[in-house]
This record gives sequence, C-alpha cells and structure tokens, in this order.
Amino acid sequence: MGNLICNLRHSLAHFELNLELSVAPGITILLGPNGAGKSSLLRLLAGLSKPESGQIQLGERPLFDADCSLDLPPEQRRIGMVFQDRCLFPHLDVSGNIGFGLKLRGAKRSEQHRRTAQLLEKLGIEHLATRNVATLSGGEQQKVALARSLASDPQLLLLDEPTAALDPSARSEIRRWLHAVLTELSIPTLLVTHDAEEVAYFRKRVAVMEQGQIVQCGSFHQLLREPASEFIARFLGVNHIPGEVEVVAGKPVFRSRGGSSFLAPFEKIAPGQAWLTVFPWDIALYHELPEGSPRNHLHARVQEVVILGDRVRITLVNDDKLVAEISTRGYQALGEPQTGEKLWAVFKAREARIENCVPARS
Amino acid sequence: MKRPRPFTLLLAGAGLLLGGLILLPILALLLSSRPATLLSLLQSREILLALWITLLSAVIALPLIFALGLPSAYGLSRCSGRLRRSLEILLELPMVMPPVVAGLALLLAFGRRGLFGELLADFGVRIPFTLSAVVLAILFVVTPFFVRRCLVLFDGIDRRLEEASLLLGASQLQTFWYVTLPVVRRGLFAEAIMALAQSIGLFGVIILFAGNLPGRTQTLSLAIYSAFESDPFQAFALGTLLLLISLLLLAAVHLLAPPEGQHG
Repeated sequence: MGNLICNLRHSLAHFELNLELSVAPGITILLGPNGAGKSSLLRLLAGLSKPESGQIQLGERPLFDADCSLDLPPEQRRIGMVFQDRCLFPHLDVSGNIGFGLKLRGAKRSEQHRRTAQLLEKLGIEHLATRNVATLSGGEQQKVALARSLASDPQLLLLDEPTAALDPSARSEIRRWLHAVLTELSIPTLLVTHDAEEVAYFRKRVAVMEQGQIVQCGSFHQLLREPASEFIARFLGVNHIPGEVEVVAGKPVFRSRGGSSFLAPFEKIAPGQAWLTVFPWDIALYHELPEGSPRNHLHARVQEVVILGDRVRITLVNDDKLVAEISTRGYQALGEPQTGEKLWAVFKAREARIENCVPARS
Repeated sequence: MKRPRPFTLLLAGAGLLLGGLILLPILALLLSSRPATLLSLLQSREILLALWITLLSAVIALPLIFALGLPSAYGLSRCSGRLRRSLEILLELPMVMPPVVAGLALLLAFGRRGLFGELLADFGVRIPFTLSAVVLAILFVVTPFFVRRCLVLFDGIDRRLEEASLLLGASQLQTFWYVTLPVVRRGLFAEAIMALAQSIGLFGVIILFAGNLPGRTQTLSLAIYSAFESDPFQAFALGTLLLLISLLLLAAVHLLAPPEGQHG
C-alpha cells in the first residue's frame, strides 16, 4: 500500500493552512488543539473541499494537483472517513450501512451479505447486525461507522476525533478496540485528536498541527523528549522552560527567563537561546532543600494540585513554572501540601534536556 | 388552583375564536346533507365525470410536480447567497399571484392567440380548454408551494450524510437516490399528499384557463360553482364530498408525516 503525500495551501477563516505531510501505512496521529485546522485538512484530503494550491498523492495515484487542474471527486478517491459524529445512514440498519458501499459497486446480494458478515465478525460486532442505528450507543455507532468505511476497501483511512464525542467509560473501550483494529490495517491511517492522552495511548507516529501548520512530526517518544515548541510540551504535560545558555566562569549554565539557573548536559549546546525540558515525573518535591549532590532546584509556590488516581500533579510557580508529578504516597508523605504553600522542586542535571532554539520555522 | 394570568387568557381567547372560525363552517357543511344525498350524487354521470377529472388531473400532475419540483428544490437547497434569494423570489411569484390572474396569465401565454399559442398550434397542440390545461394550471400553481416545502426538507438534511455516501464511492446521483431521498421519504409522502389536496381544490386558475366544460375540464370545484347557480342543495352536497376527500388526505398526511423532531 502506498503512502499519502500531500502539500497543501488553503485559506481558512483565521489563518492559512499551509503544510506538507507524508503518512506511511500504519497509524499516524494528527494532534492539535481545537481550531488548528485538523478537520479542514481531512476535508481537503477527502475532496470535500478544494485546496487553493498544492498536490495530494495516494500511492501511485495523484488525487489532486492544482498545477494540472486535477481534482478527483470524493467518490473516486477511495478514502475512508469516519466523521466525529459518525453520520450513519438513519434509514438503513447496521448491515445496510456496512453493505452500502458494496451495493453501490454492484456487488451481488450474496457477496454483499458475505462481506458484511465477515466484517461484522472481524470487528466483533455481529450482535449489532440488524439493529436500527438510532438505537446504538455512541461507541457502537463508532464501530459501525468504521466498519462501513472499511467495507469499501479504502486506500487511506481518516478518523476525525473518533473518541471525542463519547463518554469517558466508552472512550477507553473504543480506544482499545480502535487500537486493535487499526493496527491490523495495512493502509495509511490518520487519526485526528486534540487529546494528548490519546497520543500517549496509541504511542504511534505523531504529527502535531498548530495554526494550519505541521509543527512537529515524529514518534511519541521523540515528541516527549524533544518537543519542538512550548505548545507541544504543554500539550504533552512536559515542562518546557525558555531561556538562554550563558557561559559563567568558563562553564555553561542555563538561565531561564524567570531568572533561575539550571544545569543540564551541555554537550553540543551553543550559548544563546535555548529550551530546557524536564519530565514532571523526574521532579522531586521537598519542604527543605536536601543537602548533598548538586541539583537543580526551584523554590516556588503551589499553584494547583490535581489528583490523577495514584499520581498527583502539582504546579509550582514563582517567576518560572514547573509541573511535578509524584505518587499519591509521596504526596501524603509531604503532608498533602495545598495551594499557596512553598515547596522545593528538585531534579538532577542529567534528567534535564537542553536544546538550542531552532530558528523560527518558515 | 392557580388563577390563569391575563396574558394566558388572551392567548386562549384568540385560539378559541380561531378554532370556532375554522370548525363552525366545516360543521355546518357536514350537517347540510344527509349521507343518502351524498350517495345519490355518485349516481349522476355528470358528477362522476367531474370527480374523475378532478382525481385524474391531480394524479397526472403529481409525477410532473415531482419531476420538476424535486430536482429544483434540491438544487436550490445547495445554492446560497444572492442566487438563492433571487430564485426563492421567482418561486414566490406564482404563490402571491391571485389564482384568477394566474389563469389569465396562462391563457395569454398558451392560449390560441397567446405568446406561445401559435407556436404550439403549428405543432397541432391546443392546450386551453382541455385536460392538459387543467394539468398545466395545477403545475403552475402547486409546484412552487411543493418546491418551497421540499426545500425545507432538503435544508434539514445533514450534509455530512451525503458526504459520507460520496466517500463510500456513491456518485452524486446515487447519493441523491439512495441517501437524500430515503432520508426525507416520510416528509416527501406528506408533501405528495399535500400537493394532491391542493390540486383537487383549485378553482380560479382552472375556470379561466381550462374552462368549465362538463365532462372535459369541469372538476368538482367547478361543478360546485355551476350547481350553486341552479341547485344550491346539490352544491352543498358536492361541497361535502370534496371536503371529505380533503379530510381523508389530511388524515393521510398526519399518518405518514414524521412525528415531531425525527427529521434530518
């Protein structure tokens, strides 16, 4: 199966969508905040709206090329799309919805039944076959919508926020189900989400979209370790501190914009603008600064405490901001600090990552 | 018990008056003739012919209304902005035209000495004072209303249903046929019956364009008019007959029409 390669420009209401993206077979997550242009991108790919310029190519097949006025209509693109609110046909039952594409392509009734039954079984939803789609739960509708798209043998699959409209209990079930089903597919699959949790769940290749542009593309781990912007870091819950690398007494030191100094592995780092990244779970919290090894520390006020099951996320603020994630037990051992209390946040120099700022992206 | 407030009383009063205004004449008409009289009507050849012409013209006109109206309404629902507003105004023209004036206008367009009359006569086609004139008059008056109401149906469809269909490989025509129309099918049934009911009741436009020729263009409405001059009691009975047909159609609309909030 071929890659999706696109390169598009299109004016949206508040900004221009301008991006290059290549999606290989397998799952790629398209992450971005609401209003970043993710859904618009899907519509452009699917041929539901027309880009102002650019090309879209799926494997060997060019789907759109502004330069030679090629613009395949959606029905010829062989792209499967699962809409956020499913859009199942209300006048057909579950089997009717799934068999819709087959019927149109003139498949014999027996063939239609066979393929539909096969898909229902493969996706584990045989029991829904004769149900009226209006009576399905959100999660079930999501499954049927995906089955309906797969029945037409798409060469590219687009999923628009498949779990966003579901309630939390259904969400985790559908996430597991999607993961199992989508990993089996051998076609490029683009799953759109604004939920960093989803990215963490899938742990696949991620493309991050912001204001109509792809700002970073890489594996989940790459994203975590080297977030390309403060936005991505904040999105993933990683501390991302802007500042400058200075040389003091012959040794490099990172000075944040808030005025704190931190040490980090400085190999290959030039003096100048830089980012310091540290994971919340690598930060320890104390009431008194512990004696001993040279460590990075920040004395700051608790701004927010969020209890996430067995983890507690604590935001500390003075002129800099640092988020720490500790175990609930650790939190209790600290005497359950509340907002307004001052704590020491401590992390090792080698747990911090530092990177020179890349010149602003073009 | 809480006393109703003055504004509530005002609304209820207006409603009661209107209800009375609608129901009293209907009741009066229904009480005017005995069932036996109605049955005896059906033995008169002239009246049976008028009934036949009424139903025949309405039934011939219906598929034509659909053939013209459905694509127009769907096309219009996909237009927007100034184009759509202009087309909607065009659609409203026949709706605001007094029926008698519409009849005159049709006569001037398709009559023997009308704009296209001679052209049509060259092909041996003569429309006025024939059944075709009845059908054409129905088309002229009823189709715009039909299109207006279908427009509401089509506007209510979630566009993404059609997009989903396209993405599954359906052509635009297939999408229209297998998704759009089935989704609004109950509404369309209701509109078909409304169109029939409206067709059956036309008077002014038909009497001027098609004439009042018993056995050829005389529909029930026209027969009532003729009877009223000679035998008012027969006119009342005919009126009751026509009213019963309309009530049947109304009942059908409400049996087939979608329950509140199930559309689109």
